[in-house]
Formats: sequence, C-alpha cells, structure tokens
Amino acid sequence: MNTTEAAFIAMAVAASAAVAAAIVLPARSRVVWVGVFTALSATAGGVASLAVLVGGDSFVTVIPDVFPLGGVRLEFDALSALFTFGTALVAVPAAVYGIGYSGQGPSSRPAQAAWPVLVWSVMMVPAAGNAIGLIALWELMALSSTVLVLAEHHHNAEARRAGQWYVAMTHLSLLAIALALFILVHQTGGESFAAMRAGAANVGPVAASTVFLLALVGFGVKAGVVPLHVWLPRAHPEAPSHVSALMSGAMVKLGVYGLLRVGWDLLDGGPLWWGAVVLTVGLISAMFGILHALVASDLKRLLAYSTTENVGLIFVGVGAAGMFAASDNRPLAAVALAAALLHVLNHGAFKGLLFLGAGSVLTATGTRNLDHMGGLGRRMPVTAATFAIGGMALAALPPLNGFVSEWLLLQSLVHSLPSEAASVAVAMPVAVAVVALTGGLAAAAFVKAFGSAFLAMPRSAEAEAAHESPFTMRTGMIALAGVCIALALLPTLLANPLERAIAPATGIADGAPISTNGVYVHLAGIQAGLSPLMLTLGLLIGVVAVFAVVRRSRARSTVRDIPPWGCGRTLQTSRMEYTATSFAEPLQRVFDDVLHPEIDVVVDHHTESRHYVESIRYHSETRDGIENRLYEPLLAVARRWGDRARSVQNGSIHRYLTYSLVVTVVVLLVSQ
Amino acid sequence: MLRLLRTILRAGRATEPGPSADPSLVLPSHAGRLRGSLQVRLVDAGSCNGCEAEFAAAFGPVYDAERFGVRLVASPRHADALVVTGPVTRNMAVPLAKTWEATPGPKLVIALGDCAKDCGVFAGGHGVHGSVSDVVPVDVEIPGCPPSPDVIVAAMRRVAGG
Repeated sequence: MNTTEAAFIAMAVAASAAVAAAIVLPARSRVVWVGVFTALSATAGGVASLAVLVGGDSFVTVIPDVFPLGGVRLEFDALSALFTFGTALVAVPAAVYGIGYSGQGPSSRPAQAAWPVLVWSVMMVPAAGNAIGLIALWELMALSSTVLVLAEHHHNAEARRAGQWYVAMTHLSLLAIALALFILVHQTGGESFAAMRAGAANVGPVAASTVFLLALVGFGVKAGVVPLHVWLPRAHPEAPSHVSALMSGAMVKLGVYGLLRVGWDLLDGGPLWWGAVVLTVGLISAMFGILHALVASDLKRLLAYSTTENVGLIFVGVGAAGMFAASDNRPLAAVALAAALLHVLNHGAFKGLLFLGAGSVLTATGTRNLDHMGGLGRRMPVTAATFAIGGMALAALPPLNGFVSEWLLLQSLVHSLPSEAASVAVAMPVAVAVVALTGGLAAAAFVKAFGSAFLAMPRSAEAEAAHESPFTMRTGMIALAGVCIALALLPTLLANPLERAIAPATGIADGAPISTNGVYVHLAGIQAGLSPLMLTLGLLIGVVAVFAVVRRSRARSTVRDIPPWGCGRTLQTSRMEYTATSFAEPLQRVFDDVLHPEIDVVVDHHTESRHYVESIRYHSETRDGIENRLYEPLLAVARRWGDRARSVQNGSIHRYLTYSLVVTVVVLLVSQ
Repeated sequence: MLRLLRTILRAGRATEPGPSADPSLVLPSHAGRLRGSLQVRLVDAGSCNGCEAEFAAAFGPVYDAERFGVRLVASPRHADALVVTGPVTRNMAVPLAKTWEATPGPKLVIALGDCAKDCGVFAGGHGVHGSVSDVVPVDVEIPGCPPSPDVIVAAMRRVAGG
C-alpha cells in the first residue's frame, strides 16, 4: 500500500466520520466535529495529490460491483492530482472557517451532512477512472451542493429559486456529460479511461467532435462559462459562504478538468477549431463576467461573476494551448496550459479567500449589499486585511499570485507570433487585448468592493455595529491569505508538479514548459522570465524607500493636520459617500450597450405646487442579458408545451389503459 | 468638422492685448515666490454675481488672463490664491473659513470687489456676517463695483509677478 492509497482510505474514513457526526451529534458539537473531520479528509486529499505531484506516485484501483452495470475504477494521475490539490487548498481552511460560520447559521443536520460529502466528492471526481465512476461522483457532487445551496431556504425565498436554477442546469450538465461518455464508450469499445485512450484512434472525426461539443456543454455548465453560467450568480450568493468558497474555488474548476480529460487526454486532441471554440467561449466569459461583476452591488454576486471571468481566463489558456498544439507549436502550448493550470490553483486560493471574507462581512452586518456597508475596515481588521490580499490577487496586481498566472498566460499569447496558421495569428492579438482589458476592469471591481465595504464611514446601523468574526473564521481566512502569498512568492516550487500535471493531456503538451533555478522562472521556447521573489523584494524596497522619504520630508517641514476637503460643507454624513452603485455608474454608462441597465426615476410632487418635490425614488437594476434573452423565451416555450401536454393527462383511467395498450403494441411492432 | 474649421477661420482672433500689471497694488512679501504662475480658486461668499460675471469675462477669449500664467483650479487644495467675492453671508462664513484652512500655505487671499472689501451696499444687511477680512486674513484688495475685466487682469498680473 503506497502513500496515495492510504491517503485515499483516510479521505473516505474521515468524510464518513464527518457525516456520522453530522447525523448523531447535537447542534453545538455537531458543527465542530463536522468541521474537524472534513478538514482531516481534505488534508488527506492534499497528501494524496502531493504524493502524486511531487513524489511521482500513481494510483489505480478497481472497486467491482458498486453499481448494477459495473464497478468504479479509480485512476489518479498528475492531472487529477493537481485539481484535487487545488480543492484541498480551499477545503481545509473552508472547513475550519465553517465551524465558526455554521455556529451562527446553517447548522442543520442535512446541511452539515452534505458538506463533507461535497468536499469528498469534489476531491474524488478527478480520481474517477471510468465512465460510470465519473457520472456517479459527478452526480454526488451535484446533489450535495444542491442541499447546501438550499441550506437557508427557510428564511430566504431567493435560495429556493437559486436551487431550482441550479438543479436544472446541473442536470443539463450531467445529461450532456453522460451522452458524451456513452458515445465514447460505444466508439472505443471500452468503459475505463485506459480503454478509451487505447481506442481513441478508432473514433471518427464526426463522432470525436460530437463528443467534444457535448463535453464542452456538460463541463461548461459546471465551469460557469457564458452562456451556461446563469446558475452561478444565483447559487453562489445563496449558499453558506464556506460552501460558496469551495464551489467557486474548486468545484467550477472540475469543468476545466473534465474538458481537458475528455478533449485532450481521452480523445488525444482534435482539430484547430476545438481550441478556437474554447478560446472564444473563454474570452466572452471573461468580458461578460467582469462587466457584470463591475455593476453588481451584492458582494457575493460580484464574486460569483468574477468566477465566471476567471474561469473564462482559464478557458482562454486551455483554448490557446489547443490551438498551438493543433498548429504544432507544442512548447508554447505547454506554457499556455501550465498558465491555465496555475491559474486554477491561484484562483481557487484567492476566490476562496474572498468568499470567506464576504461570509465574515455577511455574519457581521447581516447584509450582502455593498451599498449598506462601509467603515468595516476599522471594525473588522483581520477580514479587511485578508480581503485586501485576495482582492489584489483578483486584480492580478504584483506581487500576488493572480499576477503570476495572468503574466504567464499573456506571455504565451503574446509569443504566438509569428505563427503559420492565420486563425492563430488573428485570434491571439484579440485574446491579448481582451485579457488585458479584463485585468483593468477586475482592478476597478476590486476597488469598488473593497472601498465601499471597508473604507469610509458606515452607511447603515448594522455596519456601524459590526464586529470581528470568531477565531475559527479568522483562522480560515488567514490560512488562505497565507496560501495566496505562498503561491505568489514560490511558484517556482510548482514547476515540476505542473510539468507532471500537463503530461497526461497528451493532445496538447509534452516537455517542460517552465524551467527554474528556484528563484527565476524561465519559459521554454520564449525569451521571457520572471522572478516573483525578486519582484516582491523590489516592491518591498520601493515601498519602504517611499515611506522613508515621506517621513524625512515631514520631519523637515511644518505639518498641519486638517480634515479631508469636503467642498466646504458644514455637515458631512455617510449619505454623501460614494456607494458601490455610484462608484460603478460611470463604467456602467460606458458599457451601456452590453449591460442594458434598467433605470427608473420616479418624482412625486407636492399636491399644492408642481414646483416642489416631495420625494424622488431612484431604482437601477442590471439584469443578466443572457438570462433575459436566451433562457426566459426557452422557459416560456417549455411552459407552453407543458400546458398543452396537460390535456393528455386528464385523470381518466380508461385513457391511461389505452395509452399502455398503444405503447405495448408499438413496442411489439418495432421489436419485430 | 469642416463647419467647425470654417467658423474658426471666420471668427479669427478675438483676444485683445492685455493690460500690463498694476504697479500700485501693494503685495505681501510671500507673493514674490510665485514668479509668473498663479493658481486661483474662486470663492463666492455671497456676491450679487456682478463680480463673477466680470471675473468670467477676464478669463474669456477677449481678456484671456490665462496667457499671463493665471489659472482657475477646481479645488483649494490646488490653489496658490483664493479670490473671494461678495460680502460674507452667514451661510458662507464657515465654508469660507474651511476653504482657507484647506488651502496649502503659503497662500494669498484676494478680495475682489467693493463688497468683499467692506460689504458695499450690503453692509449691515440681515444675512451679512461681515467683510472677507472679518473671516480670513486678506492680502490683496481689488476695488470696484464690479471691477472691470482689465482691472482684474492687471491685478492678477501684478500678483502673479514674473
């Protein structure tokens, strides 16, 4: 029994213990033991994946006869391990955080039992090694996360609607994935991934592309890419915050994993347009996501849209890698894929951290509306500091981890020229522009979120009375902030694991994309390098130097302490501050044609004279355009057909017997 | 675009040669550090808007005070000098003091017009707090009700020096 195997057993045992604790124990001790066992299970997952990524372990096992149709095969290679490792990075702090968070809210038995199941299944999905195993674990993950999205449905009607959307979309995902895998099984003649890989040569181009497109839809739903993202900005805000952290930080990445596994491992890559489609989807998602994040005033909705943006960026990396590979530039493909995979880890860490911060703000103030916050920095210093770290990473600012992976991604895109394929030469400059614009807008979104939540004066009584979160929640946030900083300073340590992780995606890459001497990162095939450690050191020296100069000049001249300039007003209240909505308003105007905000201004006049205004109501709402224009008409059609179908079912037993008879006759005729 | 160009050509140059600096104006010692560049923030402390109209004309195309290095700025934080007009009304006394407080030193206060100097015809009025010098220390006074644009430009050139 090697380390990986032992760790897998430990994972399952700890997760079962957590479920048992959730069912048996009373509410008070329940949250503690569920948190502890879930954290242990996630730690075991981290150990298992490190054994594969660093130690070069591998793990294949078959559990026969789990289901009537066959057993479950587990196959844990480096690509799987990278995603499981990313999950563990988020899940351990989230589980610790969940102890304090659940104590103040979702501590019911179903919610507490579903949480370890979700953590375990998110870690196990990448380990699935056959069709039935993947489908079963995928469904387990979908169901447990649905229970958690609905955890607060008693006092939150919005959670119920979010749950409906989530269930519908996630089953669309399952349907598409199951179809893709069935076609693959049928064409390759094998049910395990190993057999599929072996038989991939027998799959015709049409069948292969059908499988790829189905997989893109199925895994794209889970990844939350446009236009399949509609569940994401609904479900993520309604789930408890440590669950949102795991869903946003780890679960959506399994969409990327599945696409890589099916498209570029099992099918061994395809024509150029596969990459082009993924790239386009990624670019649209990145722009769409960040624009909606920019105008969202619900903090968790903002973060959810930002997840769509970041998954979009990961898709850009994967798509670019696919295009490079198809046009035979394999070193560059390896760099692009490594950038995408590094961003999987980085985004998991910082988005997890931001959701934990949002949860901390939510428990302290009882609201997710940024317009009602303000001044929380002084009241919740730990939350504010860790949120700032996560936010800087989100905005891809050096020296944080988001910068490293976005820099790698941009390097791979920029260096695509000169390229032989015309489509690559056209697509890549556009991709560079979109990624750069996305980065700028992400910075604006972060400034909005951080500024309107944590700075200035509180804009509501709840924000005024806010206080710092309990110890376990602070621990979770500090731990994830530490992960962000570690990933930022020492991505060089990940050079070898990343090389191992891209190896299974044989359709894309081979060789070492990143070489390093521990301090300096050098990219294969590109004249570019980066030393995150030196960069940080330089920035640190710069900041210290600026502070020293300012202090010296202060000491030499006379200094007056006067309040900030407020246009000479005699009264300054929090009503005069920028709110999140007003901060985003200019950008909302710029992107008016994309966002289509609905703005209503209602002015009531005094009855005596129209010249005197009694009240003004202003209402502004930016609804998801894709939901309005694509899904609403579809739902309307479905409802109409449903109404029509009602006449078939009229309650008469005679008619039902007739139906049975007709069906039986038809079946007999057809089977003849 | 062409129409705009044609209008520009037809209108020609409206600016007249400006008046030279008014040597009779007495300046405080720290005004000598300006050397030809003066950033001005205008504060209307309760004026009848006569002085504002003339001040705006001084910065319009005909008198064009900007060519002599005098600029209007949007915040007292950016200003070297405050130009205050009108008698200081009760409502504007505190904002004027705050504006003065917000202006970085060394700074100048220029009282523009007779009202700013001694409340003019509004002296003793019910909403009037006092003259500008009752609220903030005044360095330069420009008399007139209202002072004409060339008087304003001459005074500004004198203050800006250079």
